[in-house]
Amino acid sequence: MPTPEMLSVPTGTNLYSFGALFPILAVLLGALSSTLLGFWVSRRTLTYMNLGWLVISAAWMMGLWNQGRQAFTHTIRLPDGQSLITASLQADNPALLLGLVIIVGSVMTLLVSLDTAWRARISFPEFDAMLMYAITGGLLMAFSGDLIVMLIGLEIMSLSGYVLATLQDSRRAEEAGLKYFLLGAVGSAILIYGIAFVYGATGSLNYAEISLRVASVDGLQPQNVGILVGGALLVLAGFAFKIALVPFHQWTPDVYSGAPTSVSLFLSTVVKVAVFAGMLRVFSGALADAPGWASTLQILTAATLIIGNTAALLQANFKRMLAYSAVAHTGFLAMALLGTPATGGAALTYYLLVYTLMTAAALAIVAALQRTEAGMEVSDLRGLYYRHPGYAVALAICLASLAGLPPFAGFFGKYLAFQAAFQNGYVWLSVLAAVTSVAALIYYLRPGMLMFMPDRTPAREYANGQRPPTTLAVGLGVAGVTLLGILPNLWYGWLGNPAIWQLLAGR
Amino acid sequence: MTREFISLLPTFMIFLPMLGSLLLLVTPKRWRDEVAGFLAVLTLGIGFMIWRAGGSGLLSVNWVPALGITYSTELSGVSLALAMVTAFMSFIAVLYAARRIPNPGTMLALILAMETGLLGIFAARDLVLFYVFFEDALLPSLLMLAIYGKAGRMQALVKFAAYTLFGSLLMLVSIIGIKYLGGSPTFALADLRANVVPAGPTQTWLYVAFLAAMAVKLPLWPLHAWLPDFHEQNHDSGIPDVMGTLYKVGGYGIFIFGITLFPDASLELRPVLMGLAAFTALYAAWIAFHQTDWKRLLAYAGLSHMGFVALGVFSLNETAVIGAMYLLAFQNLYTGALFLAVGMLQERIGSVHTRVGGAMTQAGALGGLTLALWLASIAVPGMAGFIGEFSILLGAYQVFPWLAFIAGLTTIAAAAYALTAFQHSFWQARPPGGVVVRDLVHTEWLILGLPLAVAILFGVYSAPALNLMQPAVKAVLAALGSN
Repeated sequence: MPTPEMLSVPTGTNLYSFGALFPILAVLLGALSSTLLGFWVSRRTLTYMNLGWLVISAAWMMGLWNQGRQAFTHTIRLPDGQSLITASLQADNPALLLGLVIIVGSVMTLLVSLDTAWRARISFPEFDAMLMYAITGGLLMAFSGDLIVMLIGLEIMSLSGYVLATLQDSRRAEEAGLKYFLLGAVGSAILIYGIAFVYGATGSLNYAEISLRVASVDGLQPQNVGILVGGALLVLAGFAFKIALVPFHQWTPDVYSGAPTSVSLFLSTVVKVAVFAGMLRVFSGALADAPGWASTLQILTAATLIIGNTAALLQANFKRMLAYSAVAHTGFLAMALLGTPATGGAALTYYLLVYTLMTAAALAIVAALQRTEAGMEVSDLRGLYYRHPGYAVALAICLASLAGLPPFAGFFGKYLAFQAAFQNGYVWLSVLAAVTSVAALIYYLRPGMLMFMPDRTPAREYANGQRPPTTLAVGLGVAGVTLLGILPNLWYGWLGNPAIWQLLAGR
Repeated sequence: MTREFISLLPTFMIFLPMLGSLLLLVTPKRWRDEVAGFLAVLTLGIGFMIWRAGGSGLLSVNWVPALGITYSTELSGVSLALAMVTAFMSFIAVLYAARRIPNPGTMLALILAMETGLLGIFAARDLVLFYVFFEDALLPSLLMLAIYGKAGRMQALVKFAAYTLFGSLLMLVSIIGIKYLGGSPTFALADLRANVVPAGPTQTWLYVAFLAAMAVKLPLWPLHAWLPDFHEQNHDSGIPDVMGTLYKVGGYGIFIFGITLFPDASLELRPVLMGLAAFTALYAAWIAFHQTDWKRLLAYAGLSHMGFVALGVFSLNETAVIGAMYLLAFQNLYTGALFLAVGMLQERIGSVHTRVGGAMTQAGALGGLTLALWLASIAVPGMAGFIGEFSILLGAYQVFPWLAFIAGLTTIAAAAYALTAFQHSFWQARPPGGVVVRDLVHTEWLILGLPLAVAILFGVYSAPALNLMQPAVKAVLAALGSN
């Protein structure tokens, strides 16, 4: 058993590398300034400022591309005499790509909130502050180099998420928030317990070190394998709560439909992307060679695909249907985790961006057109094309993309996920995913087609829904989904290099 | 024209209609018909240019290099023939839609968008590209049904989409498997053919998954249930149906990808598939006989033809495959025109019921042209359908005589259902108090006459089409080795 080095003093030249930290600090600055300035300036001003911080953060991330910056590094001696530099925070290429996806989702959330926050009675500076704290946490997860930083990121994000879900002064929102908090806390507890197990088995919290010990026989004592498997499964269960894998998904429909729509948008895109980023780091990086978790994830994925898709089929409320569709998409996203790190990481990151664009745009339209925060019934969409042609066409494109129809990017997302799982030997899971996609198609098709059916009854939408910022967010989503569908290489060209995905564990 | 330029022509031909479709969104209302018609003619014109040049040659550029997906297109042989018929019938559909549908902008845009998908299917020489176009053609047809359909369209829509996607998603898994298990560097057809998955259960399963998509689109019993509802619920004018009949790309897909990529599996499954095809042909003809709705009748008639096509393709016999491709290409002409004729009848008497009676007395030209098209449909010698059906039976007989005999009975059944329905609609006594039936006017003559003329032309003088198809079929069957 190697000596635990957690409490030893970090050493290294780029200890507090400002460059690697800045994208996170920029968002944190936005959060802090929203907290303080909220007393003096209007919320709209704060939102514009925060949009600025997000853009700066994204630009900085692009600047960091291929530099492989790290912060809080630490050198350890290996038994064979060589040394390994580990980092608690790493701005490597996977982190930057996932961070950019988080920023895209966040920008769309902020744009939508400019229009709908007032109507949803959540137009306080605190809303912006919480949102920015949550994004900070999400970025921390994507950039994490050890389990503690990941956990801190997850907790910052989750706690802000609980507040966001409850912020609206309504019984539904309170119920949603409470449910989210209670189940989220259980998830966190399980996750922390799992992290303790992993630490117990490997003697380290750092991804690179864990991965080294898991892969080498003499690093991991045989009697520790059981503990490692237990730890990996507990960590998996903890994550499964947060991304809503069946059977840990029960909170999702209630929370997504109970929370204000702009919050649902945030929770179903940014939060999910961040947790998947954490999972990618942990399972395709640190624990990639650990036994047990993949077969369990396979079963969870299969259950998610079946239950998520069939449950969505039965929903009459459009917002609730989108919530179940988010559960179903979790299944497709998790399939990518079953691939090898090289194919799976690329597939997951491509899919996450596309998923963010299409889900955020669809929910943005719901947020703009709904009369109450309960969303709209699927039948209310009848004839939407003749009342709001632009939004109807945009929503149709989003739904087609969610269903995985080419030429929209959802198709390539699905294709990559299928391919990653298939090539790693999960053939039956790929076939199951194909079959359940048919159910998915039907529930996306129904609202998609109802919109184009002529209708003479009076409109059931909020009359003044179409506003420039929401339209901009929708346009961003639709343009992204179309462009990435026709020219997938725009994004996949960055992801496709298998070498960058070998770095997931940071070694 | 240089070779490079000619190899670019299919790309122009594919995307010109889509461009037109987008152009219609910004075109002032009064010019929409002309713009759509002009682009449809232009597309057909490019087809003629490719034909003059004797096929386009292969164009292949990387699309997603990291995944081995290429943009490979080629229009020659069978695919050129099918593409030209598609372009021709799209033009006919545009012509009719412009006159028949009030404010036809949306419909014209959808026709052109669908034409892009269909031409893409025939031109694609990369499996993923093929899949993309295969699904692309779905969206406009769903929108046509949603916007212009009848009361029960939602159910028809869901049924249609569920069947289609069930098949295509299995095909997608199969596509991934073909490349990965065969070890091909790209999805381009040439590469895949050079790296076929070794014979055995794996290849058979992949073929079954691939067939699932093709059998739905073809359609083959028992995956045909979406077809009658789809046609029945579509707009009365028959325009969506014309595009729908062009939708039968399953036979082509099996021909170009199925036989070459799964040579052993297609030999192994030949008896089962031919049996299914022969049964489909006869069963559909039998059901068609009992229909009282013209559109359902035509749907089942189309199903019966497609059973013939499948029989020909699955038999893997040169004569039969050529016949199948011939039938596949020209069946679109007369079935499409018949759907439009039904639309014209409906416009005049307000019903698509087959028992209206006596329409012939007042609308002689409509009746006459309809009858002529029906004769083409039931494969009367001298029409294009005859050459197709006869070749299929001739070829299939050399493989499984009994199955050819069973399928051959269909020709009798076809005459029975077509002539009975025609007799009820056009010849029986006019019901008292019936509205006055106007005869063909203006472009309607062209809309029914042009497809008929082409069907007769290629029924009498088949050499140009056969010369186009024969080398392509030979090349594909050569992949099977000594057969």
